[in-house]
Amino acid sequence: MLRGSAAARSTPSVTSGPGEAGESTLGRGARVRGRISGDGDLRVEGHVEGDVRVSGQLALEEGASIAGDVEASAVVISGSLTGDVVSRGAVTVRATANVNGDLGGAEVSLEEGASFHGRIEAEFDMPVELSTAPAPEPVRPETRGGRGR
Amino acid sequence: MAGTIIGHGITIEGEITSDDEVVVAGTVRGKLIVEGPVTIEAGAVIEADVGAASLSVAGHVTGNVAASDRVDILAGGRLVGDVKASRLTIADGASFKGNVDMDV
Repeated sequence: MLRGSAAARSTPSVTSGPGEAGESTLGRGARVRGRISGDGDLRVEGHVEGDVRVSGQLALEEGASIAGDVEASAVVISGSLTGDVVSRGAVTVRATANVNGDLGGAEVSLEEGASFHGRIEAEFDMPVELSTAPAPEPVRPETRGGRGR
Repeated sequence: MAGTIIGHGITIEGEITSDDEVVVAGTVRGKLIVEGPVTIEAGAVIEADVGAASLSVAGHVTGNVAASDRVDILAGGRLVGDVKASRLTIADGASFKGNVDMDV
């Protein structure tokens, strides 16, 4: 849809090559001691000692490790993680993973074979048959109706 | 495939070591030690000492640089710091401030 005025001179594309706010990779032979933060996806094949916070997806590959807290829009763990996870989306713990820490996300899945020590905090709605809590009747009348909705 | 790519928008504060190639398009503060080639892309910001087999600079680097092979500062690149390398090129349009030690 053009509007008939001075043609909007499109800005020259600044994006260049692999450095676009897309994906970053920490290779197999790489080790980071410190903090990683920023925009885009991150794949970790090496080792990180420190906190990781990215706006995109974080993938921790098999054989890789992170010792630190992790925050991302989605997290897939196939390697070793010592630290807490906060995800705005899904957290997936693959069979090869070894996790020591708490997992928080919109949904959390653990594959069979994964090693996990910690807590899972996932927000979800209880199925109807469970949400109507079988509370003993006379105890507290104001709890009737359970959680809202 | 390239070993490590630090994308545009990613910041690493701390020490990075790698025995494989590293490409930086984002920001690194601290230290970067690589047993392989390091490429600093245009737009990247490095505030760190860099040790590498070879270093190619198209972005901005502030820190001392040591390369076992060579350092190339490309047009548009900027390096503020001392360079220790047996071979050094500074392209037309690059900026550089620091001392050079070519190990003669």
